[in-house]
Amino acid sequence: MKKVVTLLLVMTLVIGTLAGCSSKPADKDSGGKDAGGKDKLKVALIYSGFLGDKSFNDSAHEGALRAVEEFGIELKEMESKEPAEWESNFVAMAADGYDLVIGVSTQFEEIVAKHAPEFPDTKFAIIDGVVKGENVASSTFAQNEGSFLAGAAAAMFTTKSDIEGVNPEKVIGWVGGLDIPVLADFFTGYKQGAAYIDPEVKVLQSFAGTFNDPLKGKELTIAQYSQGADIVMNVASGTGTGILEAAKESGKYAIGVDLDQDGVYPGSILTSMLKRVDNATYLAIESVVKDTYEGNKTVYLDISNGGVGLTDMSVMKEALGDKFPQDILDKIKELEEKVKSGEIKVEAYEGFGRK
Amino acid sequence: MNFDSIFDYTLIYATIRAATPILFAALAAAITEQGDITNIGTEGIMLTSAFAAVLVSYTTGSWILALIVSMIAGVLMALIMAVAHIKYKADITAIGIAINMLALAITKFGIKQFLGTTGSFTDPKIVGIPKINIPFLEGNKYLNGIFNNWSLMEIFGIVMVLLLTFLLYRTVWGLRLRSVGRFPMAAETAGINVNRMKYQVMIISGVLGGLAGAHLSIGYSQMFIENMTNGRGFMGVAAMFFGGANPALAWVGSLLFGFVDSIGGRLQAYGWPSQFVLMLPYIITISVLAFSMWRKKRREEKAKSSLTIATVKN
Repeated sequence: MKKVVTLLLVMTLVIGTLAGCSSKPADKDSGGKDAGGKDKLKVALIYSGFLGDKSFNDSAHEGALRAVEEFGIELKEMESKEPAEWESNFVAMAADGYDLVIGVSTQFEEIVAKHAPEFPDTKFAIIDGVVKGENVASSTFAQNEGSFLAGAAAAMFTTKSDIEGVNPEKVIGWVGGLDIPVLADFFTGYKQGAAYIDPEVKVLQSFAGTFNDPLKGKELTIAQYSQGADIVMNVASGTGTGILEAAKESGKYAIGVDLDQDGVYPGSILTSMLKRVDNATYLAIESVVKDTYEGNKTVYLDISNGGVGLTDMSVMKEALGDKFPQDILDKIKELEEKVKSGEIKVEAYEGFGRK
Repeated sequence: MNFDSIFDYTLIYATIRAATPILFAALAAAITEQGDITNIGTEGIMLTSAFAAVLVSYTTGSWILALIVSMIAGVLMALIMAVAHIKYKADITAIGIAINMLALAITKFGIKQFLGTTGSFTDPKIVGIPKINIPFLEGNKYLNGIFNNWSLMEIFGIVMVLLLTFLLYRTVWGLRLRSVGRFPMAAETAGINVNRMKYQVMIISGVLGGLAGAHLSIGYSQMFIENMTNGRGFMGVAAMFFGGANPALAWVGSLLFGFVDSIGGRLQAYGWPSQFVLMLPYIITISVLAFSMWRKKRREEKAKSSLTIATVKN
């Protein structure tokens, strides 16, 4: 009897560990071959957190699904609970004979740089980061440009005190996940955008220290609301769901990120800063399918090629009705053109921006 | 720096808010610690019941039902631990870790299987535990900010502290339990059924852990996200150690953690480096544990020396 229990315990442990690493083949037919009888292209996506963040990871997932639909590739996705799992997940996929292994986060930079040379026949890609190497394709975003628009919108919105929940104080907020360079680039743009509208606007900044703790995000956001902010931008993946919920519950406002989050809590989210992670993922897969893949190449997605931008605020417009401040939308359009034409130069955090 | 907007009246309720999930976990750990079981499975119990609460609230639209089911889920998890530890003498730390991993796996499976999504789940159909609104407080900004709109569970947490204190220190059952914790063999000799006591505390721990989980997913927020406990169960165990398994002192420990957490959020917004601020809860945890261990040792030494004096006198 004791043996049986021990065995059961060991099994629980093993199952628990496996589920922790969580592999999730999205491909349903297991034939492994496409119609032509040719081997299917095997693509693996390694995430730095969980899917379901309605943000960065989900966006990459969407792009990958689009590729599955169009090219019939075989897709495997690895989520992770802790940073300790990143490297083992990544190496496992590379060693498992996947044709293309994509690290979906800037946080994979070091891991890709370290292990890509060990698998010369495997192609690698990194989203939101740059790694040198013959078999590594990189893609980066001008998140500073998108955030510039978001900051400008927030700075204009914080003075619209005729809208319920908006106070006259010129304070806006920003809550991030981990304090990493990409997020600093977001913040640089956000701050500049706010200052462009009104230099007196104060920008509060907090980090949750994790991308997976919505309750922490919620608490930080409520703290910023109590310090006078009435709109808070979320750049926090899974932590961000808590930020958006705080907006809804406190009767204040938030700005979404990565994906269009406007509809998560209609009427509480002014706009979302789109970062087309889905496009970057799709393009990386497409390049391998169409045999245009090139190592050592960086795709730069910015405001002029639609890689970043804001939503059209239509959800908010519907929620606020007549009170919707149309001038914000007009101003954002004008700023967008100015950034595109180079009339406004958005500052970038050290190491970012167009190279 | 603007101290007014860091140390203001909203900090009081923010502290309570952040402390409540930790408090329930601390109580769940305290009751078993009194019965000589260090329950580090609270994290897993919380996570499983958080999921159960969201699932039931979403499908039935009743938060009461959700609360009941989450307690049942908590008890089931606790019973797995209890049977393995009490009946089959498995090491409690190992089984606790196994439970935490199991919870992560079960909820991951459940979210895919029953809610048809991955990672996180939010839906307007999730009915939350109500907040207590007291209309006459609304006139005063400060009273309103501090005492109004508490979640039912935040009040219930304080009630539970009183209830458990009474149960442990004012009832025969509590006395017996504490004797089991102090010296199981002596308790056994005195005719106390030690194993039955241990099963009982594990069940109570499951109920409390269940409440903790439900508070996270349908009280504090209305969502479920993978691994949403994020160490709050462990923080609870730390708060329990801080209080030496005394519910009231464990509450103080939870409040301390909650306070550091909320103050951290405010300091950051005013330009304190996030790395430092985010380190604070852990520094506090370590110092708090070191302090409580030191105090415990002092007390034991005192008890020992008075014992020797007594024997010398005789």
